[in-house]
Amino acid sequence: MGELAAEKHVRYILAVEKKKDSYEALLMEHLRMNGAYWGLTTLDLLGKLGVVDEAEVVSWIMECQHESGGFGGNVGHDPHILYTLSAVQVLALFDKIHVLDIDKVASYIASLQNEDGSFSGDIWGEVDTRFSYIAICALSLLHQLARIHVEKAVNYIVSCKNMDGGFGCTPGAESHAGQIFCCVAALAITGSLHHVDQDRLGWWLCERQDNKSGGLNGRPEKLPDVCYSWWVLSSLIMIDRVHWIDKNKLIKFILGCQDLEKGGISDRPDDAVDVFHTYFGIAGLSLLEYPGVKPIDPAYALPVDLVDRIFVLRRQPKA
Amino acid sequence: MAATTTNAAACSEEEAFDILDQLIDILERDPLIDEVGFVHPSQIQALSEGANTGSRSTEVFQKDEVLDNNDVQKKRWAFWHGDHKLGISTHFLPLLYVAAKHKFMASCMKYRISTEASKKQMDGDDQDIGISLAFSKIEMEVIRHSKALLLLCGDFGTAWNTRKHIGTSKQNLLLFMDELQLSTLILSVAPKTECAWSHRRWVIKMLAGSANLAEILEQESLLVEKLAEKSKMNYRAWNHRSWLVSYMSKQQMLHELAKSRNWAGLHVADNSCFHYRRRLMLGMLDNAMKEQDLIARSAEVESLSVVWKEELDWNEILIRRYIGREALWLHRGFLSICWAEKLIGYFSILDNGEATLGHAGNRLSMFVEHELRLHHLCSSVQDSEFDDYIKQAVLSAAYILHLHMQFSGRLRIQVVDKRQADDLRTLLHHVCPEKNWVWDYFLQT
Repeated sequence: MGELAAEKHVRYILAVEKKKDSYEALLMEHLRMNGAYWGLTTLDLLGKLGVVDEAEVVSWIMECQHESGGFGGNVGHDPHILYTLSAVQVLALFDKIHVLDIDKVASYIASLQNEDGSFSGDIWGEVDTRFSYIAICALSLLHQLARIHVEKAVNYIVSCKNMDGGFGCTPGAESHAGQIFCCVAALAITGSLHHVDQDRLGWWLCERQDNKSGGLNGRPEKLPDVCYSWWVLSSLIMIDRVHWIDKNKLIKFILGCQDLEKGGISDRPDDAVDVFHTYFGIAGLSLLEYPGVKPIDPAYALPVDLVDRIFVLRRQPKA
Repeated sequence: MAATTTNAAACSEEEAFDILDQLIDILERDPLIDEVGFVHPSQIQALSEGANTGSRSTEVFQKDEVLDNNDVQKKRWAFWHGDHKLGISTHFLPLLYVAAKHKFMASCMKYRISTEASKKQMDGDDQDIGISLAFSKIEMEVIRHSKALLLLCGDFGTAWNTRKHIGTSKQNLLLFMDELQLSTLILSVAPKTECAWSHRRWVIKMLAGSANLAEILEQESLLVEKLAEKSKMNYRAWNHRSWLVSYMSKQQMLHELAKSRNWAGLHVADNSCFHYRRRLMLGMLDNAMKEQDLIARSAEVESLSVVWKEELDWNEILIRRYIGREALWLHRGFLSICWAEKLIGYFSILDNGEATLGHAGNRLSMFVEHELRLHHLCSSVQDSEFDDYIKQAVLSAAYILHLHMQFSGRLRIQVVDKRQADDLRTLLHHVCPEKNWVWDYFLQT
C-alpha cells in the first residue's frame, strides 16, 4: 500500500490559496467560503492549521457577512445558507465563534425554515435536504437549535426517505450518497436516527463500493469518486454499519488518487487535483483512522477535538 | 509570470472591456443563440477558416506578449458565431470573466441603490419621471452584464438573484421566458449548473397560475431528455424533471411514462432515468389511492395494474437482453414490491367486501414463482470469464434476497424456502465473496 504525502498536500493547499488569479480560482471565487472550509479543515486534520494567518481569514469572513446575518461566498456576494455554515465552521476551527453576533446568524438561518419543516437556501426559496442539514449543523454549533421547529425539520427529512432506504434532495427524489449524508447527519444531531432503516440503508451504501478499485460511488452505475469516501463512509459510521465495506481497499483507493509530485487529491487516479477532493480524501482517511490524520466527527465534519471543545468542555449559554 | 500552460491573455482593462462589449454585442444581435461552447484557440481558427457565408468570426487584435519590443499585434480569434451557435476562445475566458464580473458588480450596485431610492420616492407624492427612466436603463445594464457573466460562470448566484429581483418587480411573461432561455443557454455549456436549474423552478413557480403551464412542462421535460443525452445520469437535470411531476395531471404522468420509454430502453445504465419512471408511477399510485370515490379508485387501480404489468414485462425483456445492468434490477425491485404490496391484493379485497387472501395469495405465489424462474435463468453463469454474466448472477441473487426480506416482513410469505436459501447463499458466496458478511447477515433473518 502507498503512503499519505501529507506535506505535499499541505503545500498544495497553501499554494492554491495564494493563486487567486488563476482561471480555476476565478471560477471558484463565488464559493471561496466553501473553499476556505475545505482547505483549512484539511490543514487542521493534518495538524498544520497554525501556518495560516488567522486574523486575515477571520476579518475576510466577517466582510462576507450580509446585513441579513447570512454570509456570501465572497465579499459583495449575496448571502446563502451554504456559505453561512462554512463561515461558522471556519470560525469554529479558529475558536473565534464569539466574534459573531450569534443571535443575528441564528435568526437568518431560522428565517429560512418553511411551514413544512424544510429549509430554503436563501430568500429565493429553493428547498433541498442539504439545507436542512446545514441549518441543523450550524445552529447546533452555535447552541441555537431551539430557534427552529426541530420536530417539523425532522419530519420533513423523514418524508424524503425512499423505498431503498436512502434519501434524496426533496420527497421522491433519487437517493444520492451526498443527500443521504446530509439527512443521516441531521437526524443524528437531532437524536432522531431511529427513523433510519439501518439494514436497508446500510446495504444500499455498501453497494457503493467497487470491488475492483475499492473506491465508492454515490449512486448505482456511477464511477467511484474520492468524495464519496466521505459521504458514504460517514453515513455508514453514523448508522453503525461501517464494517460492511472493505476499509483497506478504500484506503488503497484514496491513496491512489494522490498527486505525489504536486500534492493534492483528485476524484479518481490520474485526474486533475482540486481542494474539494483533497479535503474529502483526507477526511475519508481520518474516518478510516489513518495514522497522522486527526479524527473527524462524522456528523459535524469538523475535527473531534474541536467538537468536544464546543459541546463537552464549554458551558452552554442560555438558549 | 504565469506559465504558458494557462495560456491566459493579458491586456489592459480597457481592451478587456472592449472584448466584453463585442461578446455582449453578439448576444444582443442574435437573441436566438441556443448553444455556447468554449473552444480551444486552434478550433476557433479552424472554424473561421472554414467559414460559410452565414457565420462570422470576431477577430481581436492583441499585442503579442513575447514580441513586446517589436510591438507586433498578433491576430487572435476571440469568438465564432454562426447558425445561432457561439464559440468563445478559451484563451480569452479569464479576462472576459474579470471584465464581466467588474461590470456586473458595478451595475448591480447601481441597481440596488436606485431601487432603494425609488422605494423612498414612492412614499412621496410626485412622480419623478427622471428616476423611473434611469431605473429601466440600469435594469438593462444589469440584464446585459449578468448574461455575459453567467455564460462564463453559471454558478455566480448573485447574478441570477439580481435578475430575479428585476423579474419580481416586472412580472412580465416575456421576461420570464427570457430567463428560461438564458438558463437553457448556460446549461448548454454546463449542464450541471445548479443555479441554472433552480432558476427555472423559480420561473415556473412564478408562472404556476398561467394558461401555458402544460406546454412549459412539456418543454422542460424535453430539455432534460436532450441534455441527459450528453450528460449521463445528471442528478440536477433528472431531479428537475422529477420536480415537474408534482405539477402534472394523471394524464400527463401517463403520457410522460409512455413518451420516455424509448429513451430509457436505449439508456439502460442510466439509473436516474429509471428513477424518473418510478417517480411517475408512484405519482399515479398516490393519486389513485387518494381517490375518494371507491368505484373511481378501483378503475384507476385496474388501469394502473395494466401499466405495472407492462413495465414488468418490458423490464424483463431488457434484463434478458442487457446482461448485468444494475439499474434494470433496481427498477425490477421497485416494481415487484409495489406490485405485491399495493396492487395484487387490491381487487380481492373489493370483490366480495372481505379480504380473500386465497385469491390474492395465488396471484402472489405465481408471481414469486415467475421471479424465481427468471433468477435461475440469470444466475446460470454461462461463461465465468465475462464479468457481465457474473454481475448478472449477483444482481439476480441480490434481487431475490431483497424480495425475500421485504415479503417476509410485510406480507409474511417466504420467497425462498430453506433449501432455496442455502442455494442462494452458495451462489452468492461463489460469485461475490467480498460481501459474504452481507449475504449471511440477511439470509439469517
